[in-house]
Amino acid sequence: MSIFAHKNTKVLVQGITGTQASFHVRRSLEYGTNIVAGVTPGKGGTEHLGLPVFNTVKEAVEQTGANASVLFVPAKAVKGAVTEAAEAGLDLAVCITDGVPVLDMIQIKEMLKSHKTLLIGPNTPGLITPEEARLGIFPENIHQKGRIGIVSRSSTLTYEAVLETNRANMGQSTVIGLGDDMVIGSDYIPSLDAFAQDDETDAIVLIGQQGGGFEEAAAKHYKTMEIKKPVIAFVAGNSIPFAHKMGYAGEVIADGKTSVIDKRNAMLDAGMIVVDEINQIHQVLLDILS
Amino acid sequence: MNIHEYQAKKLLSKFGILIPNGRIAYTPHEAKRAANEVSARGPWMLKAQIQSGAREKGHFIEKSAGKKGGIRLVTHRRALIPEAEQMLGSTLVTPQTGPLGKSVGRIYVEAFQKVNQKFYAALVINRVQAALTLLVAKLEDGRTITQIAADTPERILKLPLNLQKGASIAQMREVREFLGLSEKSDKQLKSFVNGLHKAFIEHDASMIEINPAGVDYRGRIFALDAKMSFDDNAAYRHPDIVRLQDEYEEEDRALKASKYGFKYNDFDDSGIGCIVNGDGITLAAMDLIHEAKMGLACSLNVKGGVDKDKIAAGIKIIMTNPKVEGILINILGGFLRCNLIADGIVEAASEVGLNVPLVVRFEGTNKDEAKDILLNSKLPLIIADDMEDSVDKLVSAVEASY
Repeated sequence: MSIFAHKNTKVLVQGITGTQASFHVRRSLEYGTNIVAGVTPGKGGTEHLGLPVFNTVKEAVEQTGANASVLFVPAKAVKGAVTEAAEAGLDLAVCITDGVPVLDMIQIKEMLKSHKTLLIGPNTPGLITPEEARLGIFPENIHQKGRIGIVSRSSTLTYEAVLETNRANMGQSTVIGLGDDMVIGSDYIPSLDAFAQDDETDAIVLIGQQGGGFEEAAAKHYKTMEIKKPVIAFVAGNSIPFAHKMGYAGEVIADGKTSVIDKRNAMLDAGMIVVDEINQIHQVLLDILS
Repeated sequence: MNIHEYQAKKLLSKFGILIPNGRIAYTPHEAKRAANEVSARGPWMLKAQIQSGAREKGHFIEKSAGKKGGIRLVTHRRALIPEAEQMLGSTLVTPQTGPLGKSVGRIYVEAFQKVNQKFYAALVINRVQAALTLLVAKLEDGRTITQIAADTPERILKLPLNLQKGASIAQMREVREFLGLSEKSDKQLKSFVNGLHKAFIEHDASMIEINPAGVDYRGRIFALDAKMSFDDNAAYRHPDIVRLQDEYEEEDRALKASKYGFKYNDFDDSGIGCIVNGDGITLAAMDLIHEAKMGLACSLNVKGGVDKDKIAAGIKIIMTNPKVEGILINILGGFLRCNLIADGIVEAASEVGLNVPLVVRFEGTNKDEAKDILLNSKLPLIIADDMEDSVDKLVSAVEASY
């Protein structure tokens, strides 16, 4: 089945008329993604890339039955745009935009508690189910349909993880970039749960990132899961303790100890397989699945 | 973005937080005048204004600056000018500045505030809970907040605050009891915590740290030090804060890179300069370079770049860094298109020359187009297939060039 988005997901694009959005929407359409509408306030009634454009998400949903959104809106419009998507009752919103203020994100998360919408991002390459749906900016040419789920907080290392699953000749069921902003819409847990329920996923690759306690929270959750699929985890930054240089100072006390070593230990303790280098992933996949 | 202590204090005082009298000084004579203004008889505090914690524990590189640290207590008026002379223009090294330290261009002259009790207070964002969080801890027996966090973390109270409303009445009481403050501090504490909360929200701060706050004999609470950081993503809402930025604090190359929207990091070694598009991939590349026993000089993150000229300007920042002995370009194109990077490389190399080995690895959006651009440019560069391969090839090329 894949998770979150597949060939029957009806996708609308918020901020569709921008240059970057146009470039990537065209490619997503060529990839076969079921994009049904665009939303740009003030441009309702026009057409863009052969798609009807609406002024509001609500109208687009009423006219087309869309149930997911990809957001390319400017950073200052994200709070309003995600709220609109949530109030229109969408199941999924994938926010590609980067540079969203942290306090806006805290308010967005608060608002989402009373809606069913799952927010992925912001500042993410998005989500891709190979050969079915591309919601975002993933380079589609590197993906192969297959049975490994990938969930990652690092955009670029997601691509490396994809190449590793290709190397093992196993491909991907769904690939999810969570984004690596201070506050993100979804952490690892919704993806771990969904992959566990997905018949087409045999194992999960989890790519962590320095800072924040997200990997620790994922490990804690994994321990309690009833259906456990193998998780192969990698966190970069083993060699250099330079957290302050990457701008992650000040959060240590709030989030607890979150060094790369702490993350690795928490994940090992929870029963995940932790690799030292990202290029070991394909071998581990071959060892455990064949 | 960070601001100086004196700027943070001025800003916080507008939100009702008490601060000792203070004035900024750029010369020793200004320091003396400032001292007279803030307190007739002293004692006074002279505080080096560099953006780093642990200034008290720091030391100056220059012998002429004496053995004392970056925060000095002066009790005699005649010592004001000599002490200020020692500090101004000297280079302060703290555990947070790195071995090169930071040059002290201004000092904050403050009236010494006698207090009976000290505590730590901060507002930060708990990332996993997505919550604004108040942290407080008693500071006793000379222990620092870092020591407390490491040894006895249960002695730090962490309270998630309502973003709009701030601390509740029950939370205020919890803080007061946790800190062991008397009831006469009740009103003071409320205005202190509410002031921090308001200052945070209204300026899109990412952290406010008061280390320490002091309580005097009347129960009044003073911010004896103050550190504020702001969310760069919200800078567009706060031109007044952006104007406070001290460009001397930013390293030259980092400042230049930030003007193009890129992030530059300088490391202590000489060796490889990395141009990548993401923090994760920087770290993974660093792990591999480290394993190959190579040094890492610097890295440039060109994530999100869509303009060829800006990319070329960014690449030049790395190419012209004398510490760089080899360049690794590892781009996984998604939003960022590989062909733009290739154009940028060719343009930068034609302007400043390519004097060190360069290995390029492209994957993703428009990678074939990008490779063609590089091959046609006839530049002496090496194209690699994956990350491991790129590091291997660069390390052998750099070793061959020694």
